[in-house]
Amino acid sequence: MKRTVLPILSLMVACAIQGNLPRFVTLFGAKPNLVLVVLIAYSLASEPGFGAALGFVAGLIEGSAVGLSTGSFIVTRTITGFLAGLVTTRLFSDNPIVPVVSAAWLTLVCEVLFLLANPLASVSAAGMIILGECILNAFMTFILHFILRQFEARRKMRLVNARL
Amino acid sequence: MHQLRNKSIITLFALILSGVVIGVAHNRALSEGHPFVIQSVVRSAIYPAGASIHSVVSLFAQVMRVARPRSAILRENARLRKQVKLLTEENNRLRELAHESISLKKTLHLHECLGLKTISAEVIARDESSWFHTATIDRGRRAGVTPGASVVNHLGLIGQVVEADPFTAQVVALTDTSSEISALVQRSRCHGLLQGLGGNRLVLTSLPKDADVRRGDVVVSSGLGRVIPKGLVVGRIIRVSRNSIYGTTSAFVRPAVRFDQVEQVLVIKPGRGVAR
Repeated sequence: MKRTVLPILSLMVACAIQGNLPRFVTLFGAKPNLVLVVLIAYSLASEPGFGAALGFVAGLIEGSAVGLSTGSFIVTRTITGFLAGLVTTRLFSDNPIVPVVSAAWLTLVCEVLFLLANPLASVSAAGMIILGECILNAFMTFILHFILRQFEARRKMRLVNARL
Repeated sequence: MHQLRNKSIITLFALILSGVVIGVAHNRALSEGHPFVIQSVVRSAIYPAGASIHSVVSLFAQVMRVARPRSAILRENARLRKQVKLLTEENNRLRELAHESISLKKTLHLHECLGLKTISAEVIARDESSWFHTATIDRGRRAGVTPGASVVNHLGLIGQVVEADPFTAQVVALTDTSSEISALVQRSRCHGLLQGLGGNRLVLTSLPKDADVRRGDVVVSSGLGRVIPKGLVVGRIIRVSRNSIYGTTSAFVRPAVRFDQVEQVLVIKPGRGVAR
């Protein structure tokens, strides 16, 4: 229960923060996509099925917040969650570079898929926005990964203390 | 392991299929002007967190505005005292003009223009995605906001409500690529179709070859379709492009309102009316 509720709550909070990000947090005209960051962070630590389910919820939340192209949001995020989960089964590492690089390429895949379904901008403009978003999402994932690792370390410490 | 992978792939396809079904249902609800229940539920769930974060961010911004060194505050105080003196004089003069204006309006029966029913609202979130120019306002169906309603501020037309939930509503900016409204050039009364180009640009298309449009002309809403009231300022023409092969004219328009700077808005209920 906790395993499901916490990621969903995190996605909702991320969506709420996303709409209130200050104007200066942009790179090449793109803002970090916090919902995607949370989705990737959780999906990287779970199996593909759960990642896909979480992606579905993330797409629904993001699509609802935007109010347009809900179907595209759901489908692209579901695939992204699935791919993130697949990364865990193929490649697992405690090295922070792995989630950072994964966040960048998963953002790229997600946004390219989204643009294939919704050709909203010219290729050059879209390229710059995607590049900016990939960099910002990778940076955000690094921070989130660090925070989650701190929580995990404390949890393990509590478990060890309890056993002792 | 193999079974787990098969299960994951089945889950993936089932979820994608569900996503497609939800997308189709949402598009249908949008085109028919009905609220989409699933989204309304999700938005209602996000709303408390969004509103709380907005309050915290606003409070922080206010604190940051106030927190400054003493010398800067004293300098600003002196400047403001001078400004108050000037503004008091100007205020007295404007009061007289306002009285005169009110009496003139009464004479001309211009009070009819106030027949436009408006609802004041605040933007609580914007640009949730890099690809759309949308915002969430803190008034929804309970306050009388309906899909199709125009959203304006003191500078001009901002966009239209695309969906309304009980407590919030989604606004699509004129600059969004999905936005299309009927507009006209105020000086020459040339009608055209105003489309969003993303960024901070609009284009007025469907103008005749010999359309009388110039750089600097003001573009206003045409009121056709009776959704957006006539005469709301949309922007100013910055470039005119004439295509001699197709015999068409397009005018690029800079919006009167920068969507990323909008905070307080007025929602005008759809209906027949003329903005003055």
